[in-house]
Amino acid sequence: MTSPLPTSLHSSELAVTTRALSKQYGALRALHDLALQVPEGAVYLLVGPNGAGKSTAIKILIDQVRPTAGVAEVLGLNPQVHPALVRANVGYVPEQLDWGYGWMRVGRLLEHHARYFPTWDAAYANRLAKSFALKLDQKMSTLSKGQGRRVHLVMALAHRPPLLVMDEPTDGLDPVMRDEALGVLIDHLAQTPTTVLLSTHHVSEVEQLADHIGVLRDGELRAQMPLDELRRDLRRYRAEIPVGWQGTSMFGDAVIRRVTTRNEVDWTVWGEESVVAGELVGAGAMVCESAPLSLHEATLALLTQEIGR
Amino acid sequence: MLISVDPNDSRPIYVQIIDEMRRALVLGTLAPEDPLPSVRQLAGELRVNPNTVSQAYRELERQGVVEVRRGQGTYVVQASANGSQRRALARDVALRSLRDAHRNGLDAEELIQAIRSASTSHHKKDAR
Repeated sequence: MTSPLPTSLHSSELAVTTRALSKQYGALRALHDLALQVPEGAVYLLVGPNGAGKSTAIKILIDQVRPTAGVAEVLGLNPQVHPALVRANVGYVPEQLDWGYGWMRVGRLLEHHARYFPTWDAAYANRLAKSFALKLDQKMSTLSKGQGRRVHLVMALAHRPPLLVMDEPTDGLDPVMRDEALGVLIDHLAQTPTTVLLSTHHVSEVEQLADHIGVLRDGELRAQMPLDELRRDLRRYRAEIPVGWQGTSMFGDAVIRRVTTRNEVDWTVWGEESVVAGELVGAGAMVCESAPLSLHEATLALLTQEIGR
Repeated sequence: MLISVDPNDSRPIYVQIIDEMRRALVLGTLAPEDPLPSVRQLAGELRVNPNTVSQAYRELERQGVVEVRRGQGTYVVQASANGSQRRALARDVALRSLRDAHRNGLDAEELIQAIRSASTSHHKKDAR
């Protein structure tokens, strides 16, 4: 038998956890019974369609949104009880760029921001600004979306926080700057031990950086696991089947994507490869191919699976 | 040293880095006493998580291919390019080609013949 998709990690050292976290906006259920687990030192990728609850979950972690039920723990602290302490230890890149400081110049904003962070490294902030081609004398109100994102990245990184929380950090960046931002982040991680929680629609950009993934759908966690596990155990199987084959509903919900023709199945199945292939063969199918999925294909499959009820 | 990783490869990235280092040893682009790039440098170049590079280096150290010298970096220790490593490398390439052949509905014999004929015409081209 195949097992269901894992939603719980076997990691003891966690930088972020949420327990039974729910958020209700009137009749709208934004989050339901969320149990996020971000291991210390991980680069955790939170994926999901728009409206799945990613930003809501992230905002609860820094106490910008209060949960309806359940509790979050960030670096061992409850953000509702210690909001200032949590924010001082988190580098946050928000999805929406909302300054309220349009008249300020970039350099002045960075100085202003630095006051809130005792660990602010001014020399590093200047190096980062340079890498991101930011002009310190430019007014905030005249920045493009991409430039604004880069200012936020500098503000998040320059105090070398133990936790980075980034909501669509590459949104609005051109391809060259996306690559630059990735390089800057990698260099940062090589120098400073950091846990990263990031949400993105562009999974292929961070595929080589991330080591854990959480898949959020309709406010619920569909899957949560190390990426190595996803790469190993979520595979696409092509198999030839005899006419009138009886196995078309095999594996149940472990089949994430099921395309069956008269003489062939093309299924994306969750499970140990030898077990899945073995059961297919046992049922009379001839397995021609078993291939791993790219992260993009895997998340697409998980996000579009029709879940049996 | 030129090494590359491919996110679409079925091998985990740290395994790809190990394989690339072993390939460089067989080809002679890496020799004993050569330093490996720092974790920070290689992670930046490959655009991969520094932990992944560390994992690859740890594994290479465990296999006795490299050693970490305190405060200096990671160095190649193992002489290489011997027959068994070349055979292991050839076997890896063969297995990858075979998988690709099967996916395209070809059997091993057809692949071997195609390699022979492609290799012959390749050499002729080189000779001209």
